Amino acid sequence: MLRNEKDKSRKGLSLVISKRLISVFSPLLQHGFSVITTEGTNIKEFLCYHLGFSPEYLNERIQSILLNGKPVDNPDRATLEDGSTLALSASMPGLVGATLRRESILASFRSTITHKEKNKTKDGRPARVTLKLFNLVMKESGPHLLKQGIIVEKDELIGLLKNQPSSFWEGCKEIYLNGENIIPDELLEKIESEGEWIFLQVISPEES
Amino acid sequence: MEKILRIDMGADGGPKVKEEPLGEYAGLGGRGLTSAIVSKEVPPLCHPLGPENKFVIAPGLLSGTLAAMSGRISVGCKSPLTGGIKEANAGGQPAQVLARLGYAAIVLEGKPKGDDIYKIVINKDGVQVIADNSLKMLPNYDLIDRMKSEYGDNIACISIGPAGEMKMCAASVACTDMELRPTRHAGRGGVGAVMGSKGVKVIVLDDSGLPMRTPKDPDKFKEANKLFVQGLQQHAVTGQALPAYGTNVLTNIINEVGGYPTYNFKEGQFKGASKISGETEAELEKQRGGVPTHGCHRGCVIRCSGIYHDKDGKYLTKQPEYETVWAHGGNCGIDDMDAIARMDFLDDNYGLDTIEMGATIAVAMEAGLAKFGDAEAAIRLIEEVGKGTYLGRILGNGAEFTGRAFGLERIPVVKGQALPAYDPRAVHGIGVTYATSPMGADHTAGYAVAQNVLKVGGDVDPLKPEGQIELSRNLQIATAAIDSTGMCLFIAFAILDQPETFQALMDMLSAFSGEAMTADDFMDLGKKILTMERDFNKRAGFTSKHDRLPRFFKTEPLPPHNITFQVKDEDLDKVFNW
Ligand code: SF4
Repeated sequence: MLRNEKDKSRKGLSLVISKRLISVFSPLLQHGFSVITTEGTNIKEFLCYHLGFSPEYLNERIQSILLNGKPVDNPDRATLEDGSTLALSASMPGLVGATLRRESILASFRSTITHKEKNKTKDGRPARVTLKLFNLVMKESGPHLLKQGIIVEKDELIGLLKNQPSSFWEGCKEIYLNGENIIPDELLEKIESEGEWIFLQVISPEES
Repeated sequence: MEKILRIDMGADGGPKVKEEPLGEYAGLGGRGLTSAIVSKEVPPLCHPLGPENKFVIAPGLLSGTLAAMSGRISVGCKSPLTGGIKEANAGGQPAQVLARLGYAAIVLEGKPKGDDIYKIVINKDGVQVIADNSLKMLPNYDLIDRMKSEYGDNIACISIGPAGEMKMCAASVACTDMELRPTRHAGRGGVGAVMGSKGVKVIVLDDSGLPMRTPKDPDKFKEANKLFVQGLQQHAVTGQALPAYGTNVLTNIINEVGGYPTYNFKEGQFKGASKISGETEAELEKQRGGVPTHGCHRGCVIRCSGIYHDKDGKYLTKQPEYETVWAHGGNCGIDDMDAIARMDFLDDNYGLDTIEMGATIAVAMEAGLAKFGDAEAAIRLIEEVGKGTYLGRILGNGAEFTGRAFGLERIPVVKGQALPAYDPRAVHGIGVTYATSPMGADHTAGYAVAQNVLKVGGDVDPLKPEGQIELSRNLQIATAAIDSTGMCLFIAFAILDQPETFQALMDMLSAFSGEAMTADDFMDLGKKILTMERDFNKRAGFTSKHDRLPRFFKTEPLPPHNITFQVKDEDLDKVFNW
């Protein structure tokens, strides 16, 4: 069911599961996963050109962007570096939720933590960025990113898989670890011997 | 809604019921009415649990009509927790039912001479005040089951649990929801203790046989309501985020920004946040057959509430809200959603404010009564409160009382009331509101409202720090006005972004009363309310010194941003300059 040979032979874990189970992976998306980009890439480039978000989606849906825990008002002018953490959220309720929106009328409320860009240039070096997806952004973009593949902490992944009920494994149609087709019972044991980070791809045939 | 029901609980020969016209209070509802009555009729220096205090319940101006979202009810009195004026509000069914019964307010006065406990039953045939000592110390859920068996399903109840009877400063007033469960609470300020001091356990309301309240201009009203609902449904927050995840959708983002008070306000981020986020909570509810999208009263179109089931798929509590999940969760280092839900149930059942109780347990943990992260110990502490043990009586009187009892320095309160779930060191603007609100630290006393309304005090540059004093002022004014309409504050997001939705609300108010209401009138109403409240507090002995955050917010930097609260005292003193 994986779409092509490249998917099958990819290093890491590839799962083919039914669509209703994709939300099982939402804790990983909230907790944060790694994406490799280029040092000095700005947030807009990263999201639109690298990850495939449409500019309209960025403008309309992604209302709060937090870079290293600091609200960003202008994604064209905030750049990523190795080790950056980027969190994305739709517009949120509450006074503080409204305060954290991009260019919020209440932005003065959080002026001491607002991201301030230092002039940085793109230098072509790879940068590993932790990306966190929250709420509606997670729901809408998560399946797409899981299909492309994300890099997750092995322990987080094991913790998640360990707690799954039998109904999850029944809905898990195919499992490939480093290109090898394996059965659910083998998975947790084999995954233990992987490195600290693991590439995870989750595909739902109903979506492909 | 043209009359006030006054019940003198201390009258010779037993409680005396009197009805009177609204008189000088005409045109006021909700918080406007509770604060007007308290500020005019209650001696500011009285003891909050004594006969001179009054306990006022008022539905909003639009409650009992067909207006969407109009089911908030306000409860007002002199607060035993803060010593100042208090308005706490709640959702649930009672606002609609009380308004249809024709009452703009119920005022409980005096103090019973003996120790009898009373139920008050109000229906189309009149008002009965009945002594019923078999209700003594019943928890809220058992109490409501009793009322259901006596008066049927078509009732709405306002009640207190054992905490209110024990007159604890963290005691809440419970309102029943659409399923007739006591899950919606006017929580803050110990209002339950004041109801307890009046000897009233429960007010049973039944509007059978009574019509909806009708507007002066029904066609205009209907049209404005339609536009208002459309505005709510098309907005990303009120139409999507709140229905999907409830208020707990805030956990992840507030945590990420480093403003999520953790371990009794020691840190700004909690490692276990994603385990107790709204996203995780909603997923769990779906898996267990609960409901993540549910209204707390008929006529709510946002439906931010929900129903939480336990591991066996049985009802455990309503969907715990952001403030509750934070107070009992991250603030106490607890990342177990089921344990948090259990605490939410216990708070509702004993009749306790979830924010005050969570903050108190975190203070108790810091004092060494339990370890941060120990959910079982936290549950045991709430049970102590419910049982009224000596320790429970200390905890049930709130974070400040508990902190003092155990000699603690870091006690996160303003005017004696525990801070809610946003650390003011990360978001200074909310610290301005916490410090200066006449209610004590209150997250609802400064909400997002229409941009044009925010600017009535003059244009401010939102990116400049100076803007926050001006903004906090206008937010507090607008919130006081919204609290008078009976509208749930969550409408604020749609009216912040969509001027046409704000206009629809103004049109609804105008069509209902027959008198045009403009944005300026709305803000004047808010100013009038705040002025009355501040005047009461001044007469009760409050000065600008009470409009301050605890000292540790200025001296202890908050990780991860390592910043302190930096707004100057003289700027805080400018908030109410108008
Ligand atoms: S939005 Fe939430 S709090 Fe407001 S009325 Fe609806 S369910 Fe109740």
